[in-house]
Amino acid sequence: MNLDDELRAALRREDPSPGFAQRAVARAKSNPEPTMAIPIFQPVRISQMIWAAALAAMLVIGLTATSEYRQRKAERAGRDAVLALRITAEKLNMTRDKVLKREEN
Amino acid sequence: MRRIFLITVIAGWTAAQLPAQLLQLRITGLDGLASKAKESVDITLDSSLLQMAGGFLARNGKGSKDSQDITSLLTALKAITVRSFEFNETGQYRIEDLEPIRAQLRTPGWSKIISTQKQGEISEIYTRMEQGKVVGFAIIAAEPKELTIVAIEGTIDLKDLSKLGGLGVPSIPIPDQGKKGKQE
Repeated sequence: MNLDDELRAALRREDPSPGFAQRAVARAKSNPEPTMAIPIFQPVRISQMIWAAALAAMLVIGLTATSEYRQRKAERAGRDAVLALRITAEKLNMTRDKVLKREEN
Repeated sequence: MRRIFLITVIAGWTAAQLPAQLLQLRITGLDGLASKAKESVDITLDSSLLQMAGGFLARNGKGSKDSQDITSLLTALKAITVRSFEFNETGQYRIEDLEPIRAQLRTPGWSKIISTQKQGEISEIYTRMEQGKVVGFAIIAAEPKELTIVAIEGTIDLKDLSKLGGLGVPSIPIPDQGKKGKQE
């Protein structure tokens, strides 16, 4: 037999034996998820690590957003307070001028 | 048992809110003016916002005297409300529109300390006293093309307010805080 025939024989299409699909699925199910072992602690599942990282990221984003919102709110309140006092001062000044004018007359 | 507890909590909360509501000057009847105005200012700051404002000004005031004065003034305040409208033309509001506010200021506790009236112009300053201290302060300044209402709630020393020179707050002659001021 020459090389071509040998290869053809080796690579020829063959039907799987009966029950192959069920056996493959059962085997896949029985295999544990791949884990990353961390020394000192118990092995942690990768999915758990992803969840933990996502939660931590959400916490950081949430805290940052809250802090920025509070900062903007304080900034606006500060500007409003100064404007309110400025208007109050202006109206006090105006009233004083009117009273003084009336007293002069 | 749970119902009794809930009723007690609600009653307690309502009782705690009542003095504040009685003291608070409600600025009503001016809702439609903002759309007619060339410029309008609508500021409402409650105690928590005033605290935030004080903190912000203290941090950003670089220790200036004005900033310190404003911050110390703000810490004693419970609320500031300012409604101001500037119009292009006269006749955009009526003096009668101010009646709901002026009626509140005629109730016991409020004193009109300064009042001037001249041809459609009104300038009035009111204070509210409690135990010899000013706990409320209101200004009504109505001119043909401008209307401003200011209501400030909290312990206010008007002399402190007049010290805020950096903001252009004038040094006005302040009548004795226990007495009723000049009225027309």
